[in-house]
Amino acid sequence: MQAQTLVQMKHVRKEFPGVTALSDMSFDIRAGEVHVLLGENGAGKSTLMKILSGVHKPTSGSVVIDGKEYKSLTPHDANRLGIRVIYQELSVIPTLSIRENLFVGRLPVKKRAFFHTVDYGEMQRRAEGLLEKVGLHRDARTPVEDLSISEKQQVEIAKALAVDSRVIIMDEPTASLTHEEVRHLFAVIRALKAQGRGIVFISHKLPEIMEIGDRVTVLKDGANVGTKQIADVTADDLVTMMVGRQIRKNYQNESAPDGFEQEEVLFEVKGLSRRDGKARDVSFRLHKGEILGFAGLVGAGRSELMDAVFGAAPKQSGQILLHGKEIRTKSPYQAIRNGLAMVTENRRETGFFHNFDIKQNISLLPFVKTARGGGTLGLIDRRFEKRCAEQQRKALRIKCASVNQPVTELSGGNQQKVILGRWLAAQSEILIFDEPTKGIDVGSKAEIYALMRELADSGKGVLVVSSELPELLAVCDTIAVYREGEIVRVFPHSAATEENIVLAAAAGDTE
Amino acid sequence: MKGERNMASKERAKEKLTFNTLWQRFGTFGILILLLAILAVARPGHFFSVSTVTQILAQSSVNILIALGEFFAILIAGIDLSVGSVVALTGMVTAQLMVAGVHPLLSLVLGVLLGGVLGLINGVLVNRTGLHPFIITLGTQAILRGVTLIISNSSAVFGFPASFTRTISVNVFGLVPLVAIIALLTAVVLSFLTRQTKLGRNIYALGGNREAAWYAGINVKLHTLIVFMISGLCAGLAGVVLLGRVGSAEPAAATGFETYAIAAAIIGGTSFFGGKGKIFGVVIGGFIIGVINFGMNLLSLPSTLQQVVMGALIIGSVALDRFVANKK
Ligand SMILES: Nc1ncnc2c1ncn2[C@@H]1O[C@H](COP(=O)(O)OP(=O)(O)OP(=O)(O)O)[C@@H](O)[C@H]1O
Ligand SMILES: [Mg+2]
Repeated sequence: MQAQTLVQMKHVRKEFPGVTALSDMSFDIRAGEVHVLLGENGAGKSTLMKILSGVHKPTSGSVVIDGKEYKSLTPHDANRLGIRVIYQELSVIPTLSIRENLFVGRLPVKKRAFFHTVDYGEMQRRAEGLLEKVGLHRDARTPVEDLSISEKQQVEIAKALAVDSRVIIMDEPTASLTHEEVRHLFAVIRALKAQGRGIVFISHKLPEIMEIGDRVTVLKDGANVGTKQIADVTADDLVTMMVGRQIRKNYQNESAPDGFEQEEVLFEVKGLSRRDGKARDVSFRLHKGEILGFAGLVGAGRSELMDAVFGAAPKQSGQILLHGKEIRTKSPYQAIRNGLAMVTENRRETGFFHNFDIKQNISLLPFVKTARGGGTLGLIDRRFEKRCAEQQRKALRIKCASVNQPVTELSGGNQQKVILGRWLAAQSEILIFDEPTKGIDVGSKAEIYALMRELADSGKGVLVVSSELPELLAVCDTIAVYREGEIVRVFPHSAATEENIVLAAAAGDTE
Repeated sequence: MKGERNMASKERAKEKLTFNTLWQRFGTFGILILLLAILAVARPGHFFSVSTVTQILAQSSVNILIALGEFFAILIAGIDLSVGSVVALTGMVTAQLMVAGVHPLLSLVLGVLLGGVLGLINGVLVNRTGLHPFIITLGTQAILRGVTLIISNSSAVFGFPASFTRTISVNVFGLVPLVAIIALLTAVVLSFLTRQTKLGRNIYALGGNREAAWYAGINVKLHTLIVFMISGLCAGLAGVVLLGRVGSAEPAAATGFETYAIAAAIIGGTSFFGGKGKIFGVVIGGFIIGVINFGMNLLSLPSTLQQVVMGALIIGSVALDRFVANKK
């Protein structure tokens, strides 16, 4: 017996100027299933879903819903047919409250004598129900701009649940969710499944996919390379289907298996504190050839610690030493001039220049770094700009028509790579990576890990903050566990396991 | 692989020639031509004369100068509402200096520099208070107008050397007004700044994403200062130019000119959200405002009606631009 097919996409093709995003893609969604879409950055996953939601018109092909064949859909059609999307780029309105965001365009109303007014009681009640469902513990009247990224993501999910739906598309919903929040999301997904709705789930995180998926379709260069039952495949099979090869699992420095105590100290932080308590007398050392990772629960203050190191947030006290010499980092500019670089966590907010093309986005940092007069003086060297961008495009395999393309036209993962490229292009002594592989596909992740190793081996310092433990375990030689503004444990790679890190992060087990 | 990429770039080049992309590049220019064509049809006798060109150029210059500065303020997602008052104050001070016996050339230079200083004050206030430039420059607009009234005793200042007025109003080869050359030279310099310098690149970055600019090491406050200083310098230059063209310094001069400057920048394609826009567009935008002004006089519209028509045409040309650009 086979479940009813809700949506069928037939031989869909989509061309953008200079790029064929989808070449001949067929895909279907059944009632009560989670259908995973998997593929490299720029494979066409988001584009396929945007065709289904009416954002893009397909160049050719068709979509069948309810036995009716559509050459193309409008957003209105999609809405009417019960297709809901949680987009990769958040679309919540920051200045409105949570509840207003949830019901934007369809506020609950009360009938008065001659007119309708917004029924705030009803709105609050329904909003609370939705927030409960997704596990967001916030007053529904809070303005969305006060929320963290992961909370905004949860609002986005709740918004899709606010109206009745037949198909819910989730484009990388877990990219910035915490472990706990992912559990909540999965519970929601299971409930939706039980109600017979169809779910499309896009993610680059294989363990998640193996857990929540029923079927998986692998996309490669805009074509379907296979649809499988999740039960019939292993994660490794999927990687092979997607990347066409097996990937390396570990990137540690093998030359120093018993720790780095003997090695030269490259970078040191001494007694760093923040006024808000997100860093309390923190000290650590980074040795030559070592990659140091920071694990911890979200909210532990790892990003805040790095902000203070990098000069993006004020320090209350503390010293930063590079090659044993104290350096000043009172602003990011000073930090950059003194040899630091930091890939920030929330790159859409703190990294992305939507008005720039790829080469301008990448070359900005080298330009600022080399300019005299506080980063202002000097001319734009177009040959350098181009060379610099091409170099990163090659190193990170950024998928684009040319480096003159606006970044807004790139796929989500490729946008992330552009920002990574900017910080690599600065050729700094010390690189801080905060969630380096957010939104990046498995194959490229492996390449980025290899790149980090190369950097460390060539004498640069690499610090990694990540909430993905497998990532830390794959690249770091040493893992520091951070909790409530303090380093509570330090594990050499040989002693680090998921279990003991999770334990230390939660309980603050200091031996 | 190589061939594939070549194909891709060729396809891209082809795409560039669609109506849409052409409109995006030259659409504003189209509106300018359209307005000129309307005038040519309505008043062929007057329109086709050499003096038409001279007059349009001269009339547009002050507005273009102010708009060039305004462009930068809008580019960083701000605004400068004080430019009209800066024009009046710099003109007034320059006139009084000359009347007091200071050499005209020195007075002129001091007038322009005063504009820069006033801009700097705007910038410092924005940086120090963290308030939106709209609020700050709304305040300085009133303050500077008040200062102009105080130092002039609310009356016009005449009687400075006629050589000053004559020089500023000169037409090179009897055709191109000197003021137009000043405006266009300023545009060329600023265009170079926006396209070829790191300073210009940083300002665009700031307009695109302030926080990302900060993380990338751009000194946000310094660049905000520079932007308002450029706006002030341009307004100062406009003040001196206006003084030369009018021949007297009026305390109420240039009232409401900030509106035209903003209109010119927006018609020229500058985004109110910051980070997007080009000097070339601003110049065209300034000419559009100038042509509308000139046309209304040519068609001898009663001055009471001129404001209404101007307002309607500003909305009309921006709406037309966006409408055509959004249509696929
Ligand atoms: N608006 C657009 N204009 C031009 N090209 C586009 C546009 N949107 C997407 N593309 C291109 O289409 C291709 C597919 O992009 P898409 O966003 O569907 O990838 P994706 O599979 O979602 O990748 P990711 O995992 O990085 O999110 C990419 O090469 C991208 O550059
Ligand atoms: Mg995508």
